[in-house]
Amino acid sequence: MKVFNKKGLSALAAVAILAAACGGSTASTAGKTLTIGISFPLNGASLASAGPARDGALLAIKEASIEGYTLKAKVLDHAKDGAHNPDQAAADMLTFVGQEDVVAVVGPFNSASARAQIPVSSEAGLLQCSPSNTNPTLTKGADGEALRGGRAVNYVRVATTDDLQGPAVAVYAKENGAKKIYILDSTDAYGKGVADAFETQFKTDGGTVVGRQGLPTGTTDFSAAATAAKAAGADSIFYGGVTSDGAPLFRNALAQAGLGALPFYGADGIYDGTTEGSYIATAGANAENSYASQAAIENIPGKADFNVKFKAEYGHDAEGYSFAGYACAQIIIEGIKAAVTGGTVTRETVRAAVADKGTVFETVLGSVSFDAVGDTTQRIISLYKVDGGAWKFVKEINYGN
Amino acid sequence: MKAPIARKGGGGLRYCGAQGALLPNPPLGGTIYGMSLQPARVASEGGYMATASVTSSTPGRLLGSLRLPLSIFVFLALALGVLGIDQFVNAMTLGAIYALVALGYTMVYGIIELINFAHGDVFMVGSFVAMFISSSLLGNEGSITNVPLLGFSVLVLFALTIGVMALLGALIERLAYRPLRRAPKLAPLITAIGVSFILQNVIQFFFGPTIVTVPQLVPVEWAIQVAGSRVPLLNLFVIATSIILMVALQLFISRTRTGRAMRTTSMDRDASSLMGVNINRTIMITFLIGSGLAGAAGVVHGLYYGNTNYSLGFQSGLKAFTAAVLGGIGNTAGAALGGFLIAFVEVGASAFGYGRWGGAVVFSLLVIFLVFRPTGLLGSHTGDRA
Repeated sequence: MKVFNKKGLSALAAVAILAAACGGSTASTAGKTLTIGISFPLNGASLASAGPARDGALLAIKEASIEGYTLKAKVLDHAKDGAHNPDQAAADMLTFVGQEDVVAVVGPFNSASARAQIPVSSEAGLLQCSPSNTNPTLTKGADGEALRGGRAVNYVRVATTDDLQGPAVAVYAKENGAKKIYILDSTDAYGKGVADAFETQFKTDGGTVVGRQGLPTGTTDFSAAATAAKAAGADSIFYGGVTSDGAPLFRNALAQAGLGALPFYGADGIYDGTTEGSYIATAGANAENSYASQAAIENIPGKADFNVKFKAEYGHDAEGYSFAGYACAQIIIEGIKAAVTGGTVTRETVRAAVADKGTVFETVLGSVSFDAVGDTTQRIISLYKVDGGAWKFVKEINYGN
Repeated sequence: MKAPIARKGGGGLRYCGAQGALLPNPPLGGTIYGMSLQPARVASEGGYMATASVTSSTPGRLLGSLRLPLSIFVFLALALGVLGIDQFVNAMTLGAIYALVALGYTMVYGIIELINFAHGDVFMVGSFVAMFISSSLLGNEGSITNVPLLGFSVLVLFALTIGVMALLGALIERLAYRPLRRAPKLAPLITAIGVSFILQNVIQFFFGPTIVTVPQLVPVEWAIQVAGSRVPLLNLFVIATSIILMVALQLFISRTRTGRAMRTTSMDRDASSLMGVNINRTIMITFLIGSGLAGAAGVVHGLYYGNTNYSLGFQSGLKAFTAAVLGGIGNTAGAALGGFLIAFVEVGASAFGYGRWGGAVVFSLLVIFLVFRPTGLLGSHTGDRA
């Protein structure tokens, strides 16, 4: 069925353009649906840590209202076999890019997935905000530049970076009296990176590293490393890696070697709550005397108020990255509002409004702004200790702006 | 009586019928089930006796058989000197677990020349079955300090897990490998990889993808002092259990009728079947024993490490397979030796701060052996058929 010939079509298009022009710039997209994409690993073991971030973002989107627009959320899950899958993360980002009304994305959760997504979103000029990525090379230096392909910043994050997290734990360990440390890392980018940063700071502060080695993910036998730590006369242990790399297995092996009383330090890789499969759940009683960090603020202003509305929505307390996920969505919504005020709401205007260096966003995390590469200027590392089978906040180190 | 399933799968393969014993190239696995072979079974006593010559020793062999224990002793003494008691015990414990798993690889290869890639995952399933029995059925939560109760619980745990895993092994053989007995070698190999994935996914479905804790029944605090070092009883228990099982296996293979049937089947399946050995039964028993040992390794793994996870089988399976090849695949004593050798390499690397290279060294060793001594440490009596 051919209703229009070519001429008719172009005439129709001309009328449409004319109509749009006559409607004035502010109304060009009025009444339109705007979608915020949410891209996290949301099944299996990943759900425990990424689920709260999704819930936070959904809550912010539900609460928001923008004059003349309908705001929607679209959630895509890129976990496979319970682990985040960077290939699927990139594919999900392509889906968002292909859906015209998606103006920005909250996510991803893991740095490796961010590495896969940024080239895709950057090419499309689609803004994304991560609540949790901490790998410095995603934004900083030549690596960050290469990932963006030389284009304008479209990736921002509200978590600060590992190059501060490692040193913060080192300072903390030193304060607790650590002099001779034994370091084990998981040999991958995160584990080795955070262990390197820890080691440098610990040595700068006059500490001694009595031994260091790496055991890759999938290792089940940590007894030899534990015995080596014992033979080296370590008074504290640092583990660079995440729970599933074997942090609790190493802790158990240390206990079995008679070193269960030594302080055990880690970064945010072992700060994963108390649910099944978490560091505390797996190490059990041996988890006592463990210390960890988080590259985010713990003393959130108005935490209690936020918790009330979060609980009303989901029936349980806000936890982990709920706040950061909420903050990311808040920032994106602020960006959309700025674009509305500016006249046109497009991916580019939203991106420009958020990535603009110096703009301060009032979020649930407090005041957040982004530097020239999209990293948060709220550079706070929170430090925790296991006490009675749960993580207890101890202090924060603020690296300032 | 015929087993039709064996022929259905093997389309295009030689099949000569149930009376194959009369033909020059008799079909085996699945076709000879007793009746037509009654006369041969009568003669089988003589056949079994004849195989005794396999283990008969001549003066030359006596020298050779002395050389092996001697070199093992020298190796252990050297390792003890270099590593110290603590790491030596670690290596022996890890080796004990590798050896138990490696036995399953080598037995199956020895008898049907199949590299059973699912075996690492059978070990993994064993660790989950042990976890389930220990924590859900027996209601254990932590260590048991009452010695008689501990002994009873551990015995029940071993018996049940080995039983369940032996049945699972036989089931896998019956469903996944027997129908492919006479298919090209590649077919069962790929099936084995498929079985491996199935086992992993089933476990992941029921127990999730995270690390799961297992009750450590033997208290980890119990230890004895040896030359100033603290040696946990748990490690000694693991080593002793594994050695007892390995010695029992050796005795079973060398002293019993079924053991003899296994040896003859691995040497020449056709001839054994002519001598009245029930090939299908023998192969199934091999799977029963191999998987039972993997189940025992699963129990030991849980008791020693206190945890397990669904992907455990991949890495451990690869290491145990390497152990079997190093020892001479098809040779049970060699597999045990290979397991300990690999454990010493890994623990040695970790002891001196080169843990990240442990895997690389182990697999380099595999390559070196495959190039320069493909028959492994102890050679293999199926080498001529491989």
